[in-house]
Amino acid sequence: MKSRTWIIACTLMAAGIFGSGCKKSLDDQTSVTDPFLKKNLMELISENGNLSSFAGYLKQTGYSDVIASSRTYTVFAPSNAELATLDAAIKNDPVKLKQFIGNHIATQLYYTTTVTAPTRILMLSGKYNNMKGAAVGLASITSPDQYASNGVLQVVDKMLPALENCWDFISTNAQAPVKQKTFLMSLFRNVFDPTNAVIIGTNPTTGEPVYQAGTDSVYTNLFWNNVNDLRDEKKQFTVFMLTDAAWDAEQVRFAPYFVTNTPDSNALVTGWNVVKEFAVDTLYEPGTIPDTILSESGTKVPIERTAIVNTIRTSNGIVYIMNRLNVQPASKFKTIQIEAENYSGYSHDRRSNTYFRDRYNPVTGKDFRDVEVFSHGVALFNLRYRLSEVPSIRYKAYWVALNDFQTATFSQRLAPGNAAATTFPYTVVAVGNYNEVYLGEFTLTQYQPLYDIFLVAANSTTAAVNPLVCDYIKLVPSL
Amino acid sequence: MKRLNFWSLALLMSAVVLSGCKKVFDIKPQDQLDQSQAYQNVYDADAAVVGIYGKFMSLADRYVILNELRGDLLNTTSNADEALRQVSSHTVTAGNPYASPRPFYELIINCNDVLENFQMMLREKRLTEDEFNQRYSDIGALRSFLFLQAGIHFGEVPYVTNSLKDVDAVKNSANFPKLSFTVLLDSLIRFTEGLPYKELYPSGTNLNLSVDGYPTQKFYINKKVIMGDLNLWKGNYVKAAEWYRQVMETGTQGTVNGNYYSQYKIGWDSNGDIDHYITYSRAGDASTLVTNSQWRIMFEQAFGTAGFDREWVWALPFDSKFKPANSLIKLFSPVGGDYLVKPSNEIFSMWDEETQRVAQGGSIPYDARKLLSTATIGGQPVAMKYLYNYLNYASLSPVNLLTKNGKWFLFRQTHLHMRFAEAANRSGKHLLSWGFLNNGLAGAYPAPTSDVSLYHNSLWEPYPFNFDARNSGNSGVPYFRADWYRNIGVRARANLNNITVPASDSLLTIESALIKETALENAFEGTRWPDLLRVALRRNDPAFIADKIYNKMLKDGDGNAAAVRAKLMNPANWYLPFNW
Repeated sequence: MKSRTWIIACTLMAAGIFGSGCKKSLDDQTSVTDPFLKKNLMELISENGNLSSFAGYLKQTGYSDVIASSRTYTVFAPSNAELATLDAAIKNDPVKLKQFIGNHIATQLYYTTTVTAPTRILMLSGKYNNMKGAAVGLASITSPDQYASNGVLQVVDKMLPALENCWDFISTNAQAPVKQKTFLMSLFRNVFDPTNAVIIGTNPTTGEPVYQAGTDSVYTNLFWNNVNDLRDEKKQFTVFMLTDAAWDAEQVRFAPYFVTNTPDSNALVTGWNVVKEFAVDTLYEPGTIPDTILSESGTKVPIERTAIVNTIRTSNGIVYIMNRLNVQPASKFKTIQIEAENYSGYSHDRRSNTYFRDRYNPVTGKDFRDVEVFSHGVALFNLRYRLSEVPSIRYKAYWVALNDFQTATFSQRLAPGNAAATTFPYTVVAVGNYNEVYLGEFTLTQYQPLYDIFLVAANSTTAAVNPLVCDYIKLVPSL
Repeated sequence: MKRLNFWSLALLMSAVVLSGCKKVFDIKPQDQLDQSQAYQNVYDADAAVVGIYGKFMSLADRYVILNELRGDLLNTTSNADEALRQVSSHTVTAGNPYASPRPFYELIINCNDVLENFQMMLREKRLTEDEFNQRYSDIGALRSFLFLQAGIHFGEVPYVTNSLKDVDAVKNSANFPKLSFTVLLDSLIRFTEGLPYKELYPSGTNLNLSVDGYPTQKFYINKKVIMGDLNLWKGNYVKAAEWYRQVMETGTQGTVNGNYYSQYKIGWDSNGDIDHYITYSRAGDASTLVTNSQWRIMFEQAFGTAGFDREWVWALPFDSKFKPANSLIKLFSPVGGDYLVKPSNEIFSMWDEETQRVAQGGSIPYDARKLLSTATIGGQPVAMKYLYNYLNYASLSPVNLLTKNGKWFLFRQTHLHMRFAEAANRSGKHLLSWGFLNNGLAGAYPAPTSDVSLYHNSLWEPYPFNFDARNSGNSGVPYFRADWYRNIGVRARANLNNITVPASDSLLTIESALIKETALENAFEGTRWPDLLRVALRRNDPAFIADKIYNKMLKDGDGNAAAVRAKLMNPANWYLPFNW
């Protein structure tokens, strides 16, 4: 009896301990004790007297509600003293002001301690700022990593202005030199793009879709598509613009290399070939820009720092206005190497007499693949190679042609322009010659958007006399 | 009253415990077999055999890793973990999971258990003499294969032949002393040659039929091959050659047809799906290498096809329809796998050193097996042999991403011929060996005179070196189509030129060439390290192995190449530590 009472008492006591103590002790463990986490970013900023004007602008632009919400943000807040110098043109324009304030707020957490490599961070303005450690844009973070319940506050010593991007600068800013700008703006074209096209039928003969007029193309700039899209905020570019005088001089200098039938087309081709070297998607700072930059098309662009007239920072890079960019024709006009097995066409289909041969070249120490057409039975059989955008200059021609399949020599020739051209005489293909053979020179008097060059066999139907064989054809500019 | 109740309960309990023990508590589980129920009849014995092979398949990736990654043809990718890198660079430390002998010994002990139970079944007349002989010999031979693998990789290993409940007991060196490799080989040869049955399972028995569309005949170890291997390792060259010769003559029976002339004989068949030549649809045009048939197809074609049957001696299938999952796709494939290993630069340069037979004036300056054994996927070199049932050879993308079918390749006719040639060469039959390596028997024994009875054969040699490859042509008198007339040789089949041998040193030149040819032909198929080890041991030449690993590491840019070479110059460092 006694013992039973004791057991019941024990049980009740134990239940009491668990039942009563539970709530309080759990609360102690899980409640927020850090006072900073009880405030959101907006509250944190409002309490800081030195950030009162920034807080005012946040309220004015409506971003105060955004950074009081439950998503996470990083806010870069300039002090009152710094904001006092804000341009009135921005201050008094609600659209510009919103863009400016939005350029101080990022939608992810960026701590100075974790962003150790240069990082491009997206801001609410749609533009990017560069951050690494305590440096953001051109500003420094003076009191870093103050966290709040919905993000982190970084107090900065300079404003982060929402700059225009490179393309906006070129197309709208009065500082941009007029002639190069005008040329770039002339490169807008309608380009076929069926992404948003409306299909209104199907061509009964070809089976291809028929698009509604006006929906199957986009109005776009050739420079964006073929060099760099300077509107892209994610990337960073270095862009060169020539002053008007320098632009004109450059046109005169290169016009002879792009001879065409009309002055207009000559100006267009020359202008394009000059300007296509002028933007790279790497950022070169004024202090560290090297003396030579390799352009997107592989041309060496010499940079003389003394020729830099003006340096403009944009949201996605730097625009240098130059009075001289001395690009050398020798670098601009590159050697053309044509792999003979990659022909574009032929006079007769002789695939069953064509051999793509893998061989070892003891001269270069490398394997190569060539083409051999043997026993094709056609006099003056030819293979055609199509080149594009060939400037009007003089070329030295070479080939490597390995005759290892018969002991007799034979002849073949190169025919630039058309298969009957006798610019080059027949050249004997010696037995076992792995070296480059010099064939002679030829001059293109006009720039050629598309240009065919032919490899022509002997005027004979005899197999041992009319083979074609070639590893590659090389055209070296002779300036 | 209360007191009485208690005592009556106690009495009842003790009565139950004392009397009813067996019946009340020893209830067999209803949905599982107890050990005592497992070996009732021949079907249970068959199930035990299938079970052993099922578990054996889970060793596939380990087999490839130990036998190839330790060699010079395979290297790790940047995806590989530290343990794999250690295996590749011969710097294995304690606890490396790939270097543990435990999985081998688990299966060995399983084999022991099955063997003991088979003996019990024979004693209790649950198996006939024939049924017992076939199954006991199969599992016994597989166990010898596992011991040989353990000896190759761990050097001195315990020879455990009884069933243990716990594999960890193997580690107790007091009970199971470690045998040196030569003593182990003696024990294995004595046991394996003593097995009562040396043939394949007869067709029509439950272990040689078609399951899930797979004929099972090639699943089981070829007992004559393992006996050839054991004798070759031991240095009993004539004995080894005899066993290999028996396998080479597998097709020489019954109807005289294509199979008769070409199964395991490396013979032509005028059918690319069967004879697996390397050819170009137009000789001399390198762009016309045949890839949808011929040499490459042997890795893709199905079990049971004529080409597969004549090429492969031992292979096991991975299929999404049954377990285990395909561990080799995980190892090799960058698509649907982890891409942990890749072909080394060394094997590429070995292929590039070869030149093909002259066509259109010159030689293609590489071995075409390079293009058929590997591919470039996403800019990375990939060993393709195990992937051709998963990735389409032309598009290099999966036929079905989740259907990870494939095969574990263990042994084929080129292994057989190269090892026979190795044994023949060591038996002084250099010309015969040279023929199997290069352009076949007819190439080694060409026509000297007009008497067709005198050429294309080595019939004056004693067995197993007496081959008859006479072929009189259609108009020859007397008319000959001898058993071996279609033999072509491994290099000729791959469209390569013959190796020339200096008269002063046939033995070593041919032996090195045989080992190299096996690398070119059978790269990644799991025999490279044993091949190197066997020759290094035989010649007592550590440089044979050390230089090759050095070259692999050097060409793949590993800064430790010289240190590893120095390490491997000591034979003690050829083996992994025996512990787990």
